[in-house]
Amino acid sequence: MLDADFEVSRRDFPVAARIRLEAGERISLLGASGAGKTTILEALAGFLPLVRGEIRLAGRPISKAGHRAGAARLRRVGLVSQGSALFPHLTVMQNICYAPGADPAVGNARAASLGLQAMLGSRPAALSEGERRRVALARALTAGCQLLCLDEPFSALDRPLAEELRRQVAAELDALSVAAILVTHDLEEAQAFATRIAVLSRGAILQMGDSVRLLHNPGSTAVARLLGYRGSLLRGTRRILVHPDLVRRADAKGLRVTATVIDCRPAGAQFWVDMEVQAGGWAGRIQARWPTYLPPAERVEVSVPATPEFSREDPWNA
Amino acid sequence: MIASGAGPRRVALAGPGTLVALVAAGVVWIALLGPVLTLLSHLSWHSITIALTQPGALQPLVVSLEASAVAVTVILLAGTPLAYMLARGRLPWARVWEAGLLLPLLTPPLVVGLLLVFMVGPATPIGAALAHLQLTAADTFFALVVAEVYEAVPYYVLGAEAAFAAVDPELERAASLLGDPAPRTWRRVTLPLAAPGLASALAVTWARSMGAFGAVLIIAYHPFGLPMQIWTTLQETGLYSALPFALVLLLVALPLPLAAYIWSARARRRL
Repeated sequence: MLDADFEVSRRDFPVAARIRLEAGERISLLGASGAGKTTILEALAGFLPLVRGEIRLAGRPISKAGHRAGAARLRRVGLVSQGSALFPHLTVMQNICYAPGADPAVGNARAASLGLQAMLGSRPAALSEGERRRVALARALTAGCQLLCLDEPFSALDRPLAEELRRQVAAELDALSVAAILVTHDLEEAQAFATRIAVLSRGAILQMGDSVRLLHNPGSTAVARLLGYRGSLLRGTRRILVHPDLVRRADAKGLRVTATVIDCRPAGAQFWVDMEVQAGGWAGRIQARWPTYLPPAERVEVSVPATPEFSREDPWNA
Repeated sequence: MIASGAGPRRVALAGPGTLVALVAAGVVWIALLGPVLTLLSHLSWHSITIALTQPGALQPLVVSLEASAVAVTVILLAGTPLAYMLARGRLPWARVWEAGLLLPLLTPPLVVGLLLVFMVGPATPIGAALAHLQLTAADTFFALVVAEVYEAVPYYVLGAEAAFAAVDPELERAASLLGDPAPRTWRRVTLPLAAPGLASALAVTWARSMGAFGAVLIIAYHPFGLPMQIWTTLQETGLYSALPFALVLLLVALPLPLAAYIWSARARRRL
C-alpha cells in the first residue's frame, strides 16, 4: 500500500524514513519536538522534494528523488495539519465537500460519524479547536485519500475529548480501510492509535516495532528516553535504564535493590517518587510511579527489570 | 485569528492620552475633509449648470472614464500575477522587483512624463515599434493610458501583494492536496480570501488613474481628460470656473473607491 523509503534535506539535519503500511494499517511516529516528524508528513504530502529514494502509494510512485513531486491533487494523501487549514470563508459542509467531485452524501456521512451535523452551516471561526480538527478529518476522508497523515491532531484538546476523537478517527479509518500515520510526542497516544510505533530522533527512525515490545526493548538510550525511561543504575561498566512504570515493590522478579526516597509528589491517582539507589554495587537515581505516598528518607525495597542494559559509555542525561 | 464578533468594537474612552489621540484624530479628519467641504461651499447650482451645459463640456469626462477603464484593466491583468508571485516569494530578487514598483511612486509624476517622452515618444526606437502597430505615445488616447498606468500601477501591485500575502499558503496547499487543480484553488480559495484587499487596491488605483496629471500633462495633453480640463479652465478663466469640473472629477472618481472600501471592510469582518 504505502512503500516509502526516502530522505529530504532540512536546514539542521537531513530527515530520512522508511515506512511500509498495508491498506488500513496505522503507525505512530513518536519523537521529540524538532525531530523531523512533521517533515516526514510534508514529504509524504509532496510538499518537499526528495533528495533520495521514492514514495509509492498503492503501486504508483507519487514522489521520486530528482523529480518534482507529482501534482498534489493526484496523490490521494490526506493531511490534517496542526492548524487544521480550514477555508475560513466556507461553511463546515462546504469545507468537508471541498474536493472536486466530492459526493455530498459521503460528506454528510463523514460529518455524522464525527459528530458534526449540528454545525454544518457554521464558519470555521465559530468552531472550537476540537471541532475544527474534526472538520479537517472529515474533509480529508471525504476527498477519498488512501493515506491519512495526522500531525498531532489531538494535542491541543483536553484528554477526554482527545480520547473520544481518537476512537472515532480509528473507527473511521478501519471502516474505510485507510492507512494512517500519526505524529505525536505522547507515548500513550501513540500506543492507543496504532500497534506499531516508529521512534524518530534527529531526522532518523531509530527503531520501529510493536508498541509493547518496543517499550521493553529499546535499542538505544535515545529510544529509551523517548519511551519514558527516566532512571539509570550503574555498576562497573554496565548501565541499566529504569522505566518509572516498571518499578514495583520488591518481589522475586528482576533486580532487587534498596532505595532511599528523595522526593514524593502526587501524579494522578498515584505518586511520583524520586529515589536514590546505593545497593548491591548498583548506584543511581530512579523514578517510580507508586500507589502510596512515601515520605522522604524512607528506605524501600524495590524490584526493577534487569533490562534494558547498556554500557556506561552510552550517552544518558536524565 | 479573531473569532467573529469577538473583536473590540467600542473604544473605551479613558485617560488623557486617549483624549489627546481623539482630538488629534479629529483634527486630521476635518483637515482631510476640508477641501471637499470648501468645494461644496464655493459652488452654486447656477455655476454648475452653466459650466456643464456648454457644448462639449462633458467630453473630457468621457475621455477620462474611457482611459481609466483601459488603464485599470491593463493594471489588473498585468499586475495581479506579479503581485501574487511577489506575495508567494516565487520571484527571485523580490526586493529588486519591489524597488522597481516603488520607482514610479517615488518619482515626481512630471518627471515620469518627461522620461516617458524619451522612452516611448515618436522619435524613440520603442516609438518606432509602436508606429508599426499604428500607435503613437504622444498626445493620443494611447499616451493617456500609458501615463495613467505609470502613475497608478504601484498602488495596485503593492496593495494586491499585501492582500495575497494575507492568504495563508497552507490553505492553498491543503486545497491542492484535496485534489484541486491550481486554477480552481485560485478561484475558490485565493481570490475570495484576497478579494477585500484587492478591491481596496483597485479602488485606490482607479482614483489615481482618474486624477493622473503630471505625466499626462507632458505626454497626453490631448485628448483632454478631466484633470487637463480643470487645469486649462483655471488657467484661462480663473479658479472659480474650474470648480464645477473638480466636483465632477470627485463625483466620478470617488464613489467606486468608497463602495469598494465599505464592501472590503465588511468582507474582512465576516472572516
